[in-house]
Amino acid sequence: MEERYFEITRENLKKFVDSLISGGSEVIAPRDRDGDTFYGKIANFDEANLDMLLPKMSYKEFLLPKTEILFEYSLFGTETEIKDGLEYARGANKKRVIFGGRPCDGAAGRIMEKVFNWDYKDEFFNERFKDLAIISIACEKPDNYCFCMDIELSPESSYGSDILLKKDGGKYFATVTDEKGMALITPCMNLFKEISRDKMPAPKDWKKSFDIEKTKEFLDKNFEHKYFQERFLSCIGCGICTYACPTCHCFDIQDEGGCKEGRRIRNWDSCQFSIFTLHASGHNPRVTQGDRYRQRLMHKFKIYSEKFNKYLCVGCGRCSRNCPEDIDIREIAKDLADME
Amino acid sequence: MSNIVDEKLRKIAKDLLESGEVSLIIGYGAGSSPRRTRPVFITDAKDAHKLSFNRHSVQDLAVFLKKAEVKKFSKIGILVKGCDEKAVNVLIQEYQVSRDNIKIIGVECNGVVRQNLADKGESSVSEATVYDKCLICGEHRPLIYDYLVETDEPELKLSGALKPYTKIEELDAMDPEERNEFWRKEFEKCIKCYACRQACPLCYCSRCIVEKNTPQWIDTSIEEPGNAQWNLIRAYHLSGRCISCGECERACPVNIPLMLINEKMARDVYNMFGYKSGQDTETKPVFGVFSEGDLNDFIK
Repeated sequence: MEERYFEITRENLKKFVDSLISGGSEVIAPRDRDGDTFYGKIANFDEANLDMLLPKMSYKEFLLPKTEILFEYSLFGTETEIKDGLEYARGANKKRVIFGGRPCDGAAGRIMEKVFNWDYKDEFFNERFKDLAIISIACEKPDNYCFCMDIELSPESSYGSDILLKKDGGKYFATVTDEKGMALITPCMNLFKEISRDKMPAPKDWKKSFDIEKTKEFLDKNFEHKYFQERFLSCIGCGICTYACPTCHCFDIQDEGGCKEGRRIRNWDSCQFSIFTLHASGHNPRVTQGDRYRQRLMHKFKIYSEKFNKYLCVGCGRCSRNCPEDIDIREIAKDLADME
Repeated sequence: MSNIVDEKLRKIAKDLLESGEVSLIIGYGAGSSPRRTRPVFITDAKDAHKLSFNRHSVQDLAVFLKKAEVKKFSKIGILVKGCDEKAVNVLIQEYQVSRDNIKIIGVECNGVVRQNLADKGESSVSEATVYDKCLICGEHRPLIYDYLVETDEPELKLSGALKPYTKIEELDAMDPEERNEFWRKEFEKCIKCYACRQACPLCYCSRCIVEKNTPQWIDTSIEEPGNAQWNLIRAYHLSGRCISCGECERACPVNIPLMLINEKMARDVYNMFGYKSGQDTETKPVFGVFSEGDLNDFIK
């Protein structure tokens, strides 16, 4: 579909979101909780906090649940019943809309989609991804941890969002990028006014602060560089960076249950844990936290981009903001680019 | 913030490294914002100028003493606030660290600013901006130290209007069902990243109970009841040991008020056994000794 452009007042935007909710959609938006902002279900438009920069955690749990049931089994006498976990994933996001997130979060699903469809087609991810509707709002003021502009995105990028809203002079300008976005607004077309592309506010000139290609070039050549071991002495391996990350997607498959009933699940996991790579033999190829944080950098800025032509990072800065030991990934990517 | 404090601690670090008394200094240095500091690891006296301490030095650096990469340095100087220093005491008491191998550089502290407030621009120290632990701090000056750096921050003024951990009394007053409901909601948020464990200076098991699977003691799924199992087992493993540095709660990315649990357990241990953790290095751990005076009314 060709992109289409619309104008909507704040008042009508409220009506639009409230009508999504009254129409039976589950709207997930940034909400204030415990002194911070998290994505959560809203009961009406006013519960959303659209003035914050970015919720503390991402909404990846709607694409990759913290615990995904792959199948369940139960035994009755000599009968075995198997329930396919896909039944839970199918249609789970049919009526779910992410509203008011940022372009970085909007981009994450489309980037992750590549690995989930690389050789094996991950039906669980795909089922959730195809239905999840995403309405993002462009950022006006990125903070010092943000670096989407350095990573081939921007505070007003529509990549991965079905609708991107841009606030300008008291009203919003919507870029509808696909059919999923059109399906959302079609029932409320009276609230939107279609405009031509040239009536859209001009994109700002977002400045890059470093060259991510240079970061990659450093990683290409310096696997054994002492920087990794020295810099990440301060890493406590808590894995918050990976759990807060909208694109980190590693999981651990586990069985739970007994001889009568049980299930196979996949849980969020993290390359920052020492047991992540621990072999049954006792050997661990990633011995130090330096090895493990290097892996995170490699995966984000080298391996994924070589394979899928996209960095596995949207520059949201969550890993840096949330790191208890103040490890700032933007600063590190820039350090590496400068060392190259 | 304070040049006198920084100069003093840099001098101590420099001398220790130059004399070869230690091969590593763990301290604080400039962070990613003026209202953050971060851990720095100094091995060369020439780098001592990178050290700095201020009201944003929230981290408990004792956590690094459990790290294999750090242990390799064997002789270590560590910068600690009063609260953090108690963790060093417990590590010594539990034979994790030898007192002979540690030089404790204590810094006097009159409160650190809550990091989530600092990130929103707060930089003043007051009873409304510091952690609850600071409001009841009994160790502004560390209990044990080899070197002391005195602060030039004014004393933290307490009006008494703000009571730390008030939720504990509220929870105590609830009936069990209400209390369960409170914790069920909190644990529902848990994402089992185990950052609480990693940020804790006293969670040093080389293989944590959640990583043991023959048998699987704790459900691996990131939902109830596994979330509660994890948080409860951690509470028990820390009771009588936790020194209330609050790092688990600070690290928790989903804002579970973990200190309510730890502080409650610490109060219970004190009320039942008259024991406070981390006060010295000699006393035997409360759950490591049997005393005829121990409460035994739970044995029926």
